[in-house]
Amino acid sequence: MKVKNHGLFILTLAIMSGLTACGAAPADTPEQSAQSGQTEPDGETQSQPADVNESAEAALPIMGDVIQYDPNQPVNDGNDIDIEFWYWTGAANLFQSLADQYQAVHPNVHITLVENPYDDYWTKLPLALQGTDGPAIFNVHNSQHDNLIGYLAPYDIPAEDLEAEFVGASGHEIDGKIYYTDYGLMTATMYYNVDMWEAAGLTEADIPKTWDEFREVAKKLTIRDENGHLVQAGFSYNGGIQGDVLGMQYQYGQNLFTEDNKVTLNNDAMKSVIQRLQDMYHIDGVCDYNFGNNSGDNFGQGTVAMYLGWGFMTNVLEQNFPETHFACFEIPTPTADVPYAYHRYNGESTFGVNKNAPADQQTVAQDIIRFFLANDEIQKEFCLANAVFPAKTSLQNDNDLLAIPSISVLADHIDRYIWPGTIPSTVEDNVKIMLEDVFYNGKDITAALSDAEQTINEDLANLDFTSQEPMYKYASEALQ
Amino acid sequence: MKPAAISAPLRSRSEVALRSIVVCFLIVFFAVFYLLPVIAVFIGSFFQWNPLKNQMIYLGLDNWVKLLHSELFWRAVGNTFLFAAVATFFRIVLGLALSNALFSKLIKHKSVYRVLYYIPTITPLVAVTFVWKFIFAPRIGLLNQMLGTNINWLFDGKYAMAAILILTIWKDFGYAVIMLLGGLYSRPEECYESAEVDGASAWQRFRYLTLPLLKPTILFVVITSLISYFQTYIPVLVLTQGGPGTQTYLASYLIYEEAFSKYNFGYASALSFVLFLMIAVLTGVSFKISGKGDSL
Repeated sequence: MKVKNHGLFILTLAIMSGLTACGAAPADTPEQSAQSGQTEPDGETQSQPADVNESAEAALPIMGDVIQYDPNQPVNDGNDIDIEFWYWTGAANLFQSLADQYQAVHPNVHITLVENPYDDYWTKLPLALQGTDGPAIFNVHNSQHDNLIGYLAPYDIPAEDLEAEFVGASGHEIDGKIYYTDYGLMTATMYYNVDMWEAAGLTEADIPKTWDEFREVAKKLTIRDENGHLVQAGFSYNGGIQGDVLGMQYQYGQNLFTEDNKVTLNNDAMKSVIQRLQDMYHIDGVCDYNFGNNSGDNFGQGTVAMYLGWGFMTNVLEQNFPETHFACFEIPTPTADVPYAYHRYNGESTFGVNKNAPADQQTVAQDIIRFFLANDEIQKEFCLANAVFPAKTSLQNDNDLLAIPSISVLADHIDRYIWPGTIPSTVEDNVKIMLEDVFYNGKDITAALSDAEQTINEDLANLDFTSQEPMYKYASEALQ
Repeated sequence: MKPAAISAPLRSRSEVALRSIVVCFLIVFFAVFYLLPVIAVFIGSFFQWNPLKNQMIYLGLDNWVKLLHSELFWRAVGNTFLFAAVATFFRIVLGLALSNALFSKLIKHKSVYRVLYYIPTITPLVAVTFVWKFIFAPRIGLLNQMLGTNINWLFDGKYAMAAILILTIWKDFGYAVIMLLGGLYSRPEECYESAEVDGASAWQRFRYLTLPLLKPTILFVVITSLISYFQTYIPVLVLTQGGPGTQTYLASYLIYEEAFSKYNFGYASALSFVLFLMIAVLTGVSFKISGKGDSL
C-alpha cells in the first residue's frame, strides 16, 4: 500500500510539474492558488507520503484561463467508476496519454480505451450510441456530424467561453450550445523538397506568392531525360486533389455554397481552378497523369518536387519518408493581393459526450472534456501529434508548434482560412468523379462541373446541411 | 427415379425428432439470415432510411424512380454484366484447359500444380488486391515492366476495367480448375475406351464426351461465378474507387457507396433489390438453358 502511495505521489508531482510548465495555468504558486479560491496545503510535512499525497493533490493548480479546470475537485464523489472512451486507429499513444494524465488526477476513474478501424468506427459507434451501454465519451470527426449529432450531449461549458478561447467554436454552436468544437485547424500547404529546390538554383526569395510565379518555379523543378521522359515532376496532384479544389475557389471570392445551402461548382472561379491545374500538365509539362498515382507518396519517394498536402502530411513524411528534406510555403493565390480566403480548413474535433450514457458516466465525460480543453499541455500534445494549427488562442504563438513548417506558414493569415461547415461526403465524392472525368477521361470542364453540381444538390436535398460560410469573418467580401 | 437414400424409411421416433430439429434449425437460420434481410431491404427501399441515426422517412416510390432515371445506375448495371460475363468466360475456359491438362497422363507432379493454381483462390482478396495495385502501377509497376509499356492501368478508362478483370480471373481460375478436375476424375472411362476404339480424335472425345459429361459441373461453376461476380466490389474499392470518373462502377460498389459512404440505405436497398432480382432471374435462366437443374 505504501509503495502504491509513493508511486501516486511521484506521479502527482510529475503532473504538477507538467501543469506548472504550462504557461496558461494562472495559479502557479500557492499564493495564486489562494487567490483563485484553492485550499492551501494544511502544513503537514512531506516526510509522510500518504498524507502529503493528499496535500499535494489539494495544491494542484487550476488549469486554463477562461475555461478552467480544478483538478482538486473530486469526480463522482471520489467513488470508483468505469467509462469507455472510443477512438479510431492511429492515435493509441495520444489517447493513452490523455487517459493516463486524467486518471493520475482522478485515480477513481477507470478509462477503458476502445480502438476501432476508421471505417468500422462510423457504423459501430452510432449503433452503440443508440443503447445505454455505448461509450460515455468518444472521438468525433465532423464529417460524421449528421449521424452523430442526435446522440451528443451539449458541453456543460458555456458557448461564449469556448468561443472566447477556441477559433471557430461559434461555427459549432447549435441553439446556444456546443456539442463539440475544434482543437486544431487543418488545411493545405505547399510542401517542397528542399534538396531539389536548391539543386534547381532556387532560394528562399523564389518562394512563389501567386499561381503564375508557382508555375514558373514548377517548370524549373521539372527534369526530363534526353528522350523527353519525365524524371522529376515539378508539381504533381496525381491520385486526387478533390479536397483542395474544394478550397481553391475561395481565392476568387467564390463561396462553395449558395444562401439556400446548395453547392455551386459550375462557376468561373472553379473553372479557372481546374483549367489552371490542367494547364500545368498540358502546357507547362510539370507532370503527367502516368507519373505515379499517389503524389504524396511520390513526393516522399523523391520523384516530385512540390505537392499540395494537408497538415497530416507532415507526420506521414516524417514517419514514412524520414530522409525527405522538406519545407512548406503557403498556398499561392491568383494575385499578390490578400484573397477572400486562402483556402478552406477543416477542424480536428474535440470529443463527444454520449447523451444516452448513464448520468454518472456523462458527468465524468464532461469532466474529461473540461480537463482536455483547459489543459494547454494536452492541447499542444494533440496539435503536435496531428500537425494541426491550434484552435486555442493561447497556443497560437507556441514556439514548438510554430516549428512545424505546415503550421508556421499559416500563422500570419489563419483568419483568412474559411470553414464551410461539415461538408457531406457526396460533395467530395462527386468532385473526385468530376476531376477524374476531366483529367483522365477528357470530359469538358463545364459539362463535368454541371453534372457534379446537379448530382450533389440532389443528394443534399435529403440531408440536413447548413453552410457555415456566412459565419466567416470576411463573409461580406464574397462574390454575390 | 429418386435416389434410394431419400426414400429410405424413418427408423425411429428419435430419428424423426432429430431430422425435424435439424430442418427447423435450417428454416430458422434461413429465415433470420436470408429471408428477413431480403424483406427488410425491400421495405427499406420505400424509405429515406439511415439506421445509424434511426431515421426512416416514407418516400413511396422515390428511390425506385431515382434508380430508373440514374445514369450511374445503368452504367453500373452494364459494367456488371460485362464484368460478370468476361470473368466467368475466362474462368471456365482457363479452368477447362488447365483441368484437362492436369488430367492428362503426360503431366507429372500434378499435386504441385493443383496447389499452385489454387493458392490465389485461398489468399485474402483485400491483401492480394493491394499487391496487384502495385503490379498495375504506372512507371514502376511489374506489369508495365514486363510489357515494356507505361500504361496507367487503374486511371486510364481504356484499361481500368481490364485491370480489375485480370485480377479477378487470376484470383478465381483455380477454383474452376479444381471443380472441373473433380468432374474429370468421376467420368466413366469405358465411354472413352469405346470412343477410342471407334476412332474418335482427341478433339472429338473432348467435344462429344468430356464437355457433355462436365456440363453439370460447368453449369454449377457458371452460376456460382455469376452470383459471385454480380456482388463484386472489393477490387473496385481498393483499385479504382469506381474511377476514372465512373468507368468501373459495378452495381455492388454503387450499393456500397450509397450505403456506407452516403448512408443512403433506402436508395441502396432499392439498388440491392434490383441486384437480387437480376441474380435470381439469371440463375433461373441458367437452369432453364441447361434443362438439368435438378442434377445440381
